[in-house]
Formats: sequence, structure tokens, C-alpha cells
Amino acid sequence: MLQVKSLTKSFDGFKAVNNANLDVQNGEIVAVIGPNGAGKTTLFNLISGILKPDSGQVLFKGDDITGLPPYEICRKRISRSFQVVNVFNRLSIFENTQISILSRQKKTWNLFTPSSSLAVNETNELLKNVGLYEKRDHISGALSHGDRKVLEIAMALGGNPEFLILDEPTAGMSPEETTRCIDLIKGLREKYGLTILFCEHDMEIVFGIASRIMVMVRGGTIVQGTCEEVRCNEAVQDAYLGGSDVCLM
Amino acid sequence: MATGILNIKGRIWWIVALVVLCLVPFVLPRFYVYLLSIILLFGLFAMSNNFPLGFGGIYQLHHAVFYGVGAYGTALVITKSGLSPWIAFIVGPLIAAFLGLVMGIICIRLSKLYFGMLQISLGSLVWAVVYRWYSFTGGDDGIHGISVPDIISSYKGAYYFTLIVTGISLYVLYRLLKSPYGSVLQGIRDNPVRSSMIGVNVKKHQLLALVIAGFFAGVAGTLFVVVDNTVFPDMMFWTLSLEAVIMCLLGGWLTFLGPMLGAALIVIIRTFVSTYTLYWALVLGIIFTLVIFFLPNGVLGWIEDAVKRKPNLAEAKE
Amino acid sequence: MDVTGVLNQVFVGLSRTVILFIVSSGLSLILGVLRIPNVAHGSLYMIGAFMAFTLSKLFGGGDMGFWMALIGAPLAVALISLVAERGIFQYLYEREHLMLILLTFAFSLVFGDLVKIVWGGEYKSVPVPYMFQGFIPLIGGLPFPLYNLFLLVCGPIIAILLWLLVNKTKIGKIARAAAVDMEMVGAVGINVSWVFASVFVIGCLLAGLGGVLVAPTVSVTLGMDHTLIIEAFLIVIMGGLGNIWGALLGALIFGLSQSLGILIWPQFGIIFPYLAVVIVLIFRPTGLLKATW
Repeated sequence: MLQVKSLTKSFDGFKAVNNANLDVQNGEIVAVIGPNGAGKTTLFNLISGILKPDSGQVLFKGDDITGLPPYEICRKRISRSFQVVNVFNRLSIFENTQISILSRQKKTWNLFTPSSSLAVNETNELLKNVGLYEKRDHISGALSHGDRKVLEIAMALGGNPEFLILDEPTAGMSPEETTRCIDLIKGLREKYGLTILFCEHDMEIVFGIASRIMVMVRGGTIVQGTCEEVRCNEAVQDAYLGGSDVCLM
Repeated sequence: MATGILNIKGRIWWIVALVVLCLVPFVLPRFYVYLLSIILLFGLFAMSNNFPLGFGGIYQLHHAVFYGVGAYGTALVITKSGLSPWIAFIVGPLIAAFLGLVMGIICIRLSKLYFGMLQISLGSLVWAVVYRWYSFTGGDDGIHGISVPDIISSYKGAYYFTLIVTGISLYVLYRLLKSPYGSVLQGIRDNPVRSSMIGVNVKKHQLLALVIAGFFAGVAGTLFVVVDNTVFPDMMFWTLSLEAVIMCLLGGWLTFLGPMLGAALIVIIRTFVSTYTLYWALVLGIIFTLVIFFLPNGVLGWIEDAVKRKPNLAEAKE
Repeated sequence: MDVTGVLNQVFVGLSRTVILFIVSSGLSLILGVLRIPNVAHGSLYMIGAFMAFTLSKLFGGGDMGFWMALIGAPLAVALISLVAERGIFQYLYEREHLMLILLTFAFSLVFGDLVKIVWGGEYKSVPVPYMFQGFIPLIGGLPFPLYNLFLLVCGPIIAILLWLLVNKTKIGKIARAAAVDMEMVGAVGINVSWVFASVFVIGCLLAGLGGVLVAPTVSVTLGMDHTLIIEAFLIVIMGGLGNIWGALLGALIFGLSQSLGILIWPQFGIIFPYLAVVIVLIFRPTGLLKATW
């Protein structure tokens, strides 16, 4: 479904992403792992159009989407969430989600119909699905971190994506919130038939839900394979997992 | 659903306010009616500034250019062409909107402070041309004694015209803000990256906000021509632009009517303080410093927070 | 349009450049390190000019008066800015730019009225000191005011002093580091607050100095801050925020396009500098030289 071919991006001579390759099949959950600064977020930014690559290609369902602006990529039904919470802080949860849905329905140029009469049912349904319906009128800037992360996911889903990119969906969450969030992601995947690409520091989560794993080190992809393959790969252990104990588990 | 945009209670307040404003000329002497006209049109000017600023997050720092160009457009059509003033009243704002489009296309690639500075630079260019083009714009003298249709030439006529036009403009602005476009614009203000990631073409939406703002600033400028019958280059000097931004912040730039309140406060302070002392700017400066320190959401924002006990929006992190 | 006429305008433009550079380098310093878009900077320039009038008069109006004004007025402005920084600005470094623009604009209103209270609304003139009265012949025999020549000497001296201050002194190095990463500088035990105060005061001192130097060439009046502050901001943006050499380059473009523009099209000469800024920003949105942020 998504293919990344020898993607490269450098900042002031520093190669943040260096010849990265990635292949995601329809219906998979692929995890990108790697130490801090390995270029995971940069890779996601390149795929989602926030940054333009220096070289390389991104193909989505066979179409070349390399270097398209984010709004074009979103219209191809690729959505993403951000590692650092990125929501509309002065607006309510309902409005945040509604805007995302209105954008997908191409109603953003509608100048005179009151928003309050549009996409209300869809928004409410989506909020119910992610469990934020009770808090729909809360201002999102004043929410707890965990709720804001979930709102991120809701906004990504508002675009009715086929392909969902999650950048550390559980970062900064308490253990209970993390468990809930992972269950939520699993459930949503079933419900919406999503293909998911995500990165995560918590190895338990990664090995728990990923169908395949890609390992990034210093901007490049070193291994791509199933959990088993990655766990026992020597290069990965040297570069990242840092010991044989991980392989043994 | 079109009328469901205001709840019953809200509508009653609006009607009460409108009735009071309609009765004013029968009660108050001429000077106060004139003052109220000025407040209304300055309020519209400030609210049009706040459309991209407070709701779009765009550093619209030189809004006076559109106000001035609208006024000059109207004045020049009236004095230089044989066309009816009523046509001039439409042409003026349209010229301002067009200028908003042109300047917007040039500036929109930049963000925040750089956007504001490029806008100030372009605006100063327009100001300099108007200031020096004696044969066409009257140069630094401006144009005086512009004749308007009889029905609105009396101070009462001018007041009612201002009231009606401002009222309609406010209604349109309100509808725009409550539309999907308005929601998206506020989303862009809070987070442009997220907006583009949910499929919004950020720059195009911002550009429309600039055109709309230019148009209504032009309407305000045209109203000034009706009320005062003059135009002069200071109408598009940058100090007036910063005053408009101050009106937005003073009244509350995250509220709809805040800038109108801010305009009223500033006009009132200027008028009444200046009868006691030459130094009204000093008073205004001190008041404004205090507002920034203690009421970062402006007067109306503070009142709304106090009434609704909403979480303080200023503290919601960017 | 003959060669000497052009040359004359070039020299006029260069004299203007010196004033613009001095004022905008101060603004740029404050913007680059403290992130404050200080609209009141123009007011300090105006206060510098009025102070020059008072001091020059106090010391008899002659050469002595001028030199005392040249030293005293910038120091007086520095003192005012120190009070403002310690009293108010130091609490506002974290605020949004928009708030700071408006707050400093409010300050400029206050300063403007204070000047009106102290000096009144009339025009003031500061005499050109005796030693700089008269003209020298330029190439082609055109008379060039000695005072302007003095300005042309001042410009490079101040540029070099500023460069030394920023690059060779301890405070300059700390300030540059703080501009990049304030927390880091604080973490190694340097009192960032006082470094910022010093930078602010030095920047404002430059505004005052510009005011003194310009005073003998113009009529000192209320409102002289209004045009200058916009010009200074545009120069800083055009040159690259926080970059001293950028300020010099910007001032040069602004000053020369102003003086030569008048030659090309007398009526609309004043639009050329703005046009130059627009062209620069269209092609180099973040300024000609590297901005510090």
C-alpha cells in the first residue's frame, strides 16, 4: 500500500533520514523503532508532506505522492497524529473533530451555513467511538494530556483515512491510559479497516500489536521484518536493543 | 437552521441594543450622535482587523491601508467621476478588497512578524503614493467637502446609514465566523500544521480572510467619508493600524464584539480625556499597559471568562 | 542628471545611512537577543534628540555643548531604558510578539506625551558645532557639509565597536549564546537577566546616540519617532533579524534608495526605499543575511 524508496532528507548537512526504505501492505500494522534521533519523526513528516525530501520516492497505492503538500496527501486518505500534541487549543473537542470531518467533506469554503448544523451526527459518532463524547464541549487546550492524544487520533480519523500514521501515540501517558489507548487503536483498526504505521518507544506495545517492524538507526533502515526476525537480528541488537536479553524474551 | 444561529436570549439583547441605537438621535445632541457614528465605524474597522488577527492568527499589522484605500476609493469616485455616490460606496470597499487580495498574495508566504513587516512595508508604499500624488489624491491635504446623497448628508442621516451598514456588516462577519469556513479559520489560528494535515489548504483560506478583512475595512472607510466628508493620508498611516490592533486587544481579540468595545473605549478616552488635558495618549498608554498586564484577554474576554467561568484561554498553550 | 549631482545624492544617502544604521543596529540587537520588537525604540531616538537640544544649550551651544550632548544624551536615554527594563520589560520576555509590539507601542505613546510635557510642542533646533560648520569640496567641486563628513566617520567607528562588543567581549559572547539557547546559558550559572538588561540598555543607548547625531541636521520635533521606527524595523527585517551587518546593509539600501530615488523621480522619491524592502522580502523572505532566529 505504501512504499518508501531510498528517501533522504538533510538539515544543514546533517542527514536526518538517509536512504530509508519501507514497505507497508494493506491491513498491516507496521512499527518503526529506533533510538532517539534516529529520524522516525522526520520520516513521518516526509511521508505526510510536512517536509519535502531531498531525494527518494513515496508511493501510495502506486501513485507517486513525493513532495505533495500535506493537504493533498490528506485527501489521498492518509492521516496522521503528532508526537507533540497538535490540536486546536482554543476550540472544543467537538469543534476540533468537526473541522476535520468538514474538511474531508470539502465544506471548508462554505461561508454562510452555520457549522452547528453540519456534520453533527458524524462528529458525535466518531467521538463516541473514541470515548470522548461526554467531554465534547470541553476546550481542548484545558484537557488532560491523555485526552488530547486521543483527540489527535479522533481528528486523524475525521479524514476517513485508509492509512493512519501515529507518531508515538502513547507518549507521556500513564500506564492505564496507555492500555486504554492501545485497546482503542486495535478496536478502531477493526472498525475502520485501517492500515497503520506507527512509532513507539515502549517495546512491549510494539511487539504486542505490530505485525511487522522496521528498525531505523541514524536515518537509515537497517532491518524490516516480523517481530521474531527483528528480535533476533544481530544488527538490531547491536545498534538498538543493546543486549541479548531482549532476544530471549 | 439559518436563524438558529442566535439563541432566543441572545436575539433579544440584539434587538434591545438596536432599538436603543435607533432612538439615540432623538435624545442626544448632535456631537454625541457624531461620536457614536465614529465609534460604530471604528468598531467595524477594528472588527474587520480582528477577523484575520483574532480568528485567523494572521499578523494583520497594517490594516489602516485598507481602511484608507476604501475611503479614498469612495472619495475619488465621487469627486472625479460623474457616477452616483451610491456606486462609489460599493466601489470603495471593492478596491480595498482587491488590494487585500494583491497584498495578501505577496505577503502570505511569510508568517507572523515577517508577514506583518512586509505588510507594513507595502502599506507604507501605498501611503507614500497617496501622500505625494497631489494632482490625484490631494497629497498631504487630502480631499475635503466630499458631497454625499442628500438623504444621508445630515448628521442624523449619516448616523442611520452608518448604523445600518455596520449592523449588516457585523451580521455578515458573524455568519462567516460561525460557518465551516470560520471554524477552519480558527483552527488555522490555533494550529496551521494540524490544519494542513486534515486536508486544509492553509494559505488559500488565510488569503480569503485577508480579502474579507480588506473589504470591511473599506466599508468602514467609506462610512468615514459619509460621516466626515473628508479623507486624508493619515487614515492609512501605520499608527492608526496599531491603534486598531490595540482596540482588538483592549476589547478582547478572541471575542466577536471585543474590538467594537475596544474602539468605543479608545474613542471615548480620546474625546473626553482630551477636553481635560493635552496628554490623552499618555492616559491611553498607561491604561493599555495595565490591560496587557492584568487582562490579557481584553475587557470583554475577561467579562466572558468571569461569567462563564470558562478555563482561561490565554493559558491554553500554543 | 549629471555625475556630480548623483555623487552628491550618494553622499547625502550615506549620511542618512549612518543614522539609520546606528538606530536600527540597536533595534536589531534587542530583537535578536531579547526577542522584543521594541516600537518605543523610535521614542528613545526622539528623546535623544531632545536631550541633545537641552544639553547643548546648557553648555553654551558651541562645540562644548555638542560634545557634552554626544556623551550625555545617550547616557540619559540608557538610564531611562534601564529603568524601563528593570521595571517592566524583564517580566515580559516570554510574551507573544504581538503583545510586545502593542505594549511597546503603548510605551511610545507615553514617551511621546512625556516629551511633549518636558519640551513642549514646538520645533527645536540644535546648532551644528563650530568645528563642523562649513563645507569641503568633493570630487567635481561640489560642496559637502563637514558635519555630514563627521557622520560618515562615525558610522564605521560604531560598526567596528559594535562588532567588537558582540564578538570579542564576554557579555557579547554570552548574549549571542543566550539568543540561541537561553536556558543553557542560565544553567551554567550566568545571570541571564542582567545580560539581557545590558543588551537592552546598549541597544537603547544606540537609539539615543542616533538621536543626538541627527539633531543638528533636522528640526527636532514631536513625531520624528514615527517615521524612523518604521524605517528601522524594515531595515532590520530586510537585513536579517539580529544581524548587525544586516542592519548595516539594510540601512545602506534604505538610505541610498531614498536619496537616489528623489533624483530619479522627485515627486515619488519616498516610495523607493519601501519598494526596495518589498523586493528584498519577496526574494529573500528572511532577510539578506542570516537571522539569529
